[in-house]
Amino acid sequence: MTLLEVDQVSAGYPGGPNILDGVSLAVERGQTCCVIGPNGAGKSTLLKTICGLLRPRTGAIVFRGEPISQLRPDQILGLGISFVPQDRSLFPDMTVLDNLKMGGYTLRDRKKLAERIAAVCAMFPVLEERRAQRARTLSGGQQQMLAMARALLLDPEVILLDEPSIGLAPQIVQQVFEAVARLRAAGKTIVMVEQNARKGLECADRGCVLDLGKTRLEGPAASLLADPQIEQLYLGKRRGPGPAGSAPGARAEPPA
Amino acid sequence: MIDQLQVVILGATLGGVYALMAAGLTLIFGVMRIVNIAHAAFIVLAAYLSFWAFTLYHIDPIASIAIVMPILFGLGAAAYRLLFARIADSRRHSEMTVLLTFALALVIEGVTGFLFTGVFRTTTPDYASDSFELGPFYVPKGQLYATALSLVLLGALLGFLRLTRTGRAIRATMQNRAAAQLVGVNVRRISTLTFGIGTALAGASGALLSFLFPFFPAKHWQWIASLLALIVLGGMGSLLGTFVGAMLLSIASAVVNDRYGPTWSPATFFLALFVILLVRPHGLFGKKAEL
Amino acid sequence: MTRRALVPAALVVALAAFPLLQLAVGGFNYWLHMLLIVFMYIAMASSWNLLGGYAGYISLGHSAFYGIGGYATGALMTFLGVSPLWSAPLAGVAGFAIGLPLGLIALRTRGPAFIISTIALLMLARLALDNTESLGGANGLSLPLPDLPAATQKVPFYYGMLAVAIAAVYTSYRIRHAKLGLGLRAIAGDEVKAEAAGIPTALYKIVAFALSAVFIAIAGGIWGDYNTYLKPSDLFQIRISAQIVLMAILGGRATVAGPVIGAIVLVAADELAVAKLGATELNLAAKGAVMILILLAFPDGIVGTLKARGRLPRILDWG
Repeated sequence: MTLLEVDQVSAGYPGGPNILDGVSLAVERGQTCCVIGPNGAGKSTLLKTICGLLRPRTGAIVFRGEPISQLRPDQILGLGISFVPQDRSLFPDMTVLDNLKMGGYTLRDRKKLAERIAAVCAMFPVLEERRAQRARTLSGGQQQMLAMARALLLDPEVILLDEPSIGLAPQIVQQVFEAVARLRAAGKTIVMVEQNARKGLECADRGCVLDLGKTRLEGPAASLLADPQIEQLYLGKRRGPGPAGSAPGARAEPPA
Repeated sequence: MIDQLQVVILGATLGGVYALMAAGLTLIFGVMRIVNIAHAAFIVLAAYLSFWAFTLYHIDPIASIAIVMPILFGLGAAAYRLLFARIADSRRHSEMTVLLTFALALVIEGVTGFLFTGVFRTTTPDYASDSFELGPFYVPKGQLYATALSLVLLGALLGFLRLTRTGRAIRATMQNRAAAQLVGVNVRRISTLTFGIGTALAGASGALLSFLFPFFPAKHWQWIASLLALIVLGGMGSLLGTFVGAMLLSIASAVVNDRYGPTWSPATFFLALFVILLVRPHGLFGKKAEL
Repeated sequence: MTRRALVPAALVVALAAFPLLQLAVGGFNYWLHMLLIVFMYIAMASSWNLLGGYAGYISLGHSAFYGIGGYATGALMTFLGVSPLWSAPLAGVAGFAIGLPLGLIALRTRGPAFIISTIALLMLARLALDNTESLGGANGLSLPLPDLPAATQKVPFYYGMLAVAIAAVYTSYRIRHAKLGLGLRAIAGDEVKAEAAGIPTALYKIVAFALSAVFIAIAGGIWGDYNTYLKPSDLFQIRISAQIVLMAILGGRATVAGPVIGAIVLVAADELAVAKLGATELNLAAKGAVMILILLAFPDGIVGTLKARGRLPRILDWG
């Protein structure tokens, strides 16, 4: 069932031109959709528009059948959509614990808040160890974990991830994608923007290519991975024989 | 030695009041990035309210804080909603807010002058002209009470910010406005509330100032420059910085006054500002960059 | 001469000829006075605009140069007997010379801290002059008027202010269309990117700061004598700074015509307020209220907003 739908949306930053130019995307419940594309394509803008930081200029965003385009970010959060921005957007001078508490700001029930904090710490044990540490002093990977944990605090149905692996060392990138896999396994619906297109698509069910504010291609992640054109444009050179074989066209997965 | 310590005591007993005057200013900047040039005008307005409460109803200026703070809170919240809420995300935010708060200062000055005339005023409770004797030193009662009360209010503010849910939301908005929005904080409401709290604190300090200095409608121009210098020196948005800066500058100013006379002591605030800017451009306790 | 330059040129000629009316017929002293104040503010707002409008560095301390200019010519008058009308250009030099070190200090900060630094500099300048007994200290300095009959007394000052206004606007125009102007506007847009693009931001900013002091200082130099009295608390006011800023921004920051329009509108509004409400406190409140309304209604200034909506009359489109 289509949980989240972006319907012909155009959007831009205040006073500026349209960055998104009639983008459409449909995400089913429990699916992970990875959005790839060159810089400036509007990937971040898309996520910001979905979560309410930007308002669509044309088109509509529909969640669980209800339009949400005119709602405030805190209202959209209440409906069950969480956003992890590219810059992580933590509270630098607050401790890990306080950052998590802020994640649960809209929860009035103290017991529930404590339960949720325990739950996300179980998912990200590295945070449990550093409860009293200031967010400013965490490493890049730890900050990413904290940002994701904070977004999970309200147990949202949909999680929007904006370039979770950006600026991180390869080893840490692996950990981040493992975390995403855990979220997937927990049944979350994920829309992820990734510069590391290959890894992002490998983690996803569906893929979407955004370029110059328009959707160029959309389909199962596997077929995007297999598509030689996509490979050339966005995936970069593969090192050595990969799991799908070394010759283009010789793919194991069936087309969509 | 005794003379010097006496001077220090005089300075220290004013420091708390300066800190209270500037606390609202730094809070408003920290949360909304607004340089509130009208801040001292609110202080003078409150001083007038205390004066009339004292003159007409014999209400002690310190007691009048209970009346003045809610009134100033309401005025501040209303001003924010009417003037600043709509431009919160504007590209021209910095210059617009500077000019808007300047115009607001003129409005307040004009209305204050119209309602209360331009005669120099001051409230005269008994303690204003009395002092305690501690051995060879004398401690002016008025100043001591004022600073003590300032510290109580500042302590209450700190407690509110650290321990309450709303306080945490204010601190979060100060540290990262976008992130606060993301976790569900209604930043518009928090901003309105913070502006109101800021002006309420200004109101409290006005009530205290009413018996410390003579005032008239245009007096705010003399204070606003020093207060602005103070918050930059302490680190914009840092309450601790404001407090430390206020105590240091107040004492320094008293010392300069003693040695070089009253015409140079106002310069202390501004010279200190430049010294700090040369060494630590973000102020004593200011933060460098955002995460 | 291009078609666009015709209207301003004709205007200048008309304004230059106006005093002849006074000399021939008389009775126009009020208008000479009002016009020279308008010219003065046009000069000051245009001057400020170089830093505040083009580069986006809002200074609330520029009335310091107003005072410095006034005292510069005042000192030359008092100690050397030179008439400010002749020494006014030197006031400009003084403004530039003092603007350089002040700018270097203030430009260590940005944004709100910069605004506050400039206020602090203004206050220090005022305190310095309050404590300079040889120039009258806090009580001020009296200056003699040129030895002319009452009917013609305002005329030299009128021409002086007109000249500064023209010089300021012309300078603004030339800079706007030159590399410096482009660089400054890049700084206003995004300083980090401008720096990365190779623009010498530090140099441009300090040049803009020092240049923006020049015409304000000259205007102050002429005004001091016109007013026959120099007093630190009159000249070194945040209010005068804010007035200049308001004119530039209300008119349209980063445009050449903006400060001109802003100056005219605000001086006219001021006169109207005094005429209607008298010089009372309500007048002040009304001015503040009107400023708020215009600021909210014209976020890009009058010229800027009109330009954005495509409704700016060609004669005002000087860039």
